[in-house]
Amino acid sequence: MEVYITGVGLTKVGRHFDLGLRELAARAALEALDSARVDKVDAVIVSSTLSYREAGQFDLAGHLAGALGLKGAQTFAVEAGDASGLAAVEAACSLIRAGSAGRVLVVGVDKLTDYVSSRVYRDLQRLYEAEVQALYDIGHAGVAGLLARLYMERFGVSRDTLSYWPAMDHSHAKHNPYAMLPFAIDPAAVPKALKVAEPLTLLDSFPLGDGAAALVLESEPHGDARAKVVLATSAAGYPSFTMNEDPLAPESVGEVAARLREVTGIAPVDVDVIELGDTFTSIGLILAESLGLSEPGRAAVDAMEGRFTLGGDGPVVNPSGGLKARGHPVGATGVYMVGELALQVSGEYPGLKVDGARRGLAVIASGDGSSAHLVLVEGVA
Amino acid sequence: MSMDLSVPETWRVKGALYRLEAARCKACGRIHYPPMPACPYCGSRDLERVTLPSEGVLESYTVVYAVPEGSRHKAPVLLGLVRLGRVRVVAEITDADPSELRTGMEVEAVLRRIRSDREAGIIRYGVMFRPKLKGGSRGG
Amino acid sequence: MEGRPEGKTGIHGWGAYVPRYRLPMSEIARVWGWAPEQASGLGMKEKAVAGPDEDSVTMGYEAARNALRRASIEASRVGAVFFGTESKPYAVKPSATIIAEALGITPATMASDLEFACRAASEGLRALIGMVASGLIEYGLVIGSDTAQANPGDVLEFTASSGAVAYVIGPREGAVAYFEGSYTYVTDTPDFWRRAHQPYPLHGEGFTGEPAYFHHIENAVKGLLAELGLKPSDFDYAVFHQPNGKFPLRIARRLGIPKEKVLPGLVTPVIGNTYNASALLGLARVLDVAKPGDRILVAPFGSGAGSDAYSIVVTDAIEERRSLAPLFDDYLSRRKEIDYATYAKFRGIFNVIK
Ligand SMILES: [Zn+2]
Repeated sequence: MEVYITGVGLTKVGRHFDLGLRELAARAALEALDSARVDKVDAVIVSSTLSYREAGQFDLAGHLAGALGLKGAQTFAVEAGDASGLAAVEAACSLIRAGSAGRVLVVGVDKLTDYVSSRVYRDLQRLYEAEVQALYDIGHAGVAGLLARLYMERFGVSRDTLSYWPAMDHSHAKHNPYAMLPFAIDPAAVPKALKVAEPLTLLDSFPLGDGAAALVLESEPHGDARAKVVLATSAAGYPSFTMNEDPLAPESVGEVAARLREVTGIAPVDVDVIELGDTFTSIGLILAESLGLSEPGRAAVDAMEGRFTLGGDGPVVNPSGGLKARGHPVGATGVYMVGELALQVSGEYPGLKVDGARRGLAVIASGDGSSAHLVLVEGVA
Repeated sequence: MSMDLSVPETWRVKGALYRLEAARCKACGRIHYPPMPACPYCGSRDLERVTLPSEGVLESYTVVYAVPEGSRHKAPVLLGLVRLGRVRVVAEITDADPSELRTGMEVEAVLRRIRSDREAGIIRYGVMFRPKLKGGSRGG
Repeated sequence: MEGRPEGKTGIHGWGAYVPRYRLPMSEIARVWGWAPEQASGLGMKEKAVAGPDEDSVTMGYEAARNALRRASIEASRVGAVFFGTESKPYAVKPSATIIAEALGITPATMASDLEFACRAASEGLRALIGMVASGLIEYGLVIGSDTAQANPGDVLEFTASSGAVAYVIGPREGAVAYFEGSYTYVTDTPDFWRRAHQPYPLHGEGFTGEPAYFHHIENAVKGLLAELGLKPSDFDYAVFHQPNGKFPLRIARRLGIPKEKVLPGLVTPVIGNTYNASALLGLARVLDVAKPGDRILVAPFGSGAGSDAYSIVVTDAIEERRSLAPLFDDYLSRRKEIDYATYAKFRGIFNVIK
């Protein structure tokens, strides 16, 4: 059975001090329902990673569905760390393909600004193996910092070259009305910015922001469908990146890329547009290389040479601005990605538009690759 | 009264945290740390406890300035990716200035306070690594 | 001497620990407005300061690990762990069990924390001698460790420092040094105390000297010499509790022991007074350099007040064990100078909302 994306709702990622978790989620959800021109759904799946810690609401999906007037819908929440949003889409597709639901509302939401940043860093540490490894004060950026140095020394890539990755994200984000940081940055500014986890700086790191995004997924296109989901899948990796044979090649990411080839016959490099879960510059480079978009050690150079932007010879990567500049409201991010890709392949994307894009791919590996998640969408025109 | 750190968890993880206890898979021979219920490499549940070497090599490190709450007193936090024999571990580096860290340098395990639960709660002790003490032919 | 229980026992391993950080005396004088000569009057140059992730348990663990490595015995053969400190991380909950667990000594062992100001570890040492001699245990581990507190601005702040020492005590056979005798002298003398729930101790200033330190050490040493029929000149080294750099030299002079026999074990001028580690850390420094056959006098002291005196004779086994763990001087040469603000942060002197 096909799965069509009929509705998309995106809120601007930012510091929504005036909106609670419920109000923020509702904005995206109602917009998605309106854009699909429906008001009832069979199921509501909520994707949220930090809300239990930050908002303290259990059964967030039930509470939110009720608050949206959707009583009676099947409802549950999905959590897969950084990749929760893609996992929620995967769950929705499974419900639809199994015939359990004909129309599913997926809502991703997280607020990272309701508490002080040091607390959010502490909570984000839980993305990593929490009993031993993240017992240390690794912060949200420590592992990415370790990987950045490993990457630079292994491949002889300079700090200055790394900076072209976030600069690429920002150059794309300036067109995105939903981006938290819609402005370009000078790559030379990146190494000079506030150090977060040396060698990484604030300009290598996703900003702490709030956001909600929502999708309506349906078994019938209704004539309003933006896209269809060709594949939504995921693969568990290791409990710690230290267990990978090569820490710079997380096996979970290699596994979802291999599955994409097996199921669809295409490789990541064959699609038109890709949204990557580049929480930090080093994670973005590792993801791009593990997916085969660049040779090992080459992703930053490829970004510098414009390979991943409009007019480049690779897929356009992160036209949204990526996690660096669109932002990363953790549980919402995957939903943003799929919504953005649906709008790209239907020609409706309000930001950096990839003309004629037919296939869009979203990939997030949570934390240090404990699991990797992939969604491939395709235009229906 | 409130406690942030789990008391039973503090007690459960002491083998890994105090003595670097890891698990060796009897099926595939690979060692992983910290110990998991099954081998992450082959899924075998036939595991035995082994102790990792207390000396190793720093494969990577970072200086964390964006420190999580409760750790400002030791900021910046030095974090290391340490190779102990065939196994890598992530742990804090102590007794070092950021400027003296180098990949490839020899480090050794010491027991330190990793976290303490505010003023009155539990204290978590565990392994950290420091640059190998000079006079280092001693103490292996 | 043969019939004495002490003679059946000896030291199998010794282990020192000194933290990396050093606070020069000039920093304390600068911040608190002391006369520049104040520290030199105490015979002090600088003091060792524990890092932000250290406490008496972590320091004691490292000293004990060093002692066990030198003893070269299975940890499980240790039947008692005594931890002497006046800076317990937990007021209630034994520190000794944490160290015993981390070293693999648990569970078939005694373990407890002892308190007698700076002398608790020495009491533990004397108890272990008795327990080993009686056959109750095969080996025992005693640890002296302190992150010594002093009220900021008090003269005590010049000396109160951090460090640890540990000894594995066992049968005389195979020991690196054996005990000839021991003697303890205690009275109720309130020269120094810390009331419950108070962060810092107070002391009687000059009263800590004559009626406390000198009276108790002198009587303990004289008691030991009388029992053993020895005289001060029979010793190659003498180590006394060292609350500052001057008192140990003065008590030695009073007992007729030349300075040269005291200086090898006088560590306070360069690391400060490590409280429960103080004299026993001086002994560790002496064992780092002593030759087989050397006889050592050791006299720890604790306020409140009491002193123990021990006569120890070094054996041939010492040479092969020495290199199995870092020496005191290895730790001493690992030195990072800090300023008062860093010291205050490391030692939690600032009032911070947690
Ligand atoms: Zn296996």
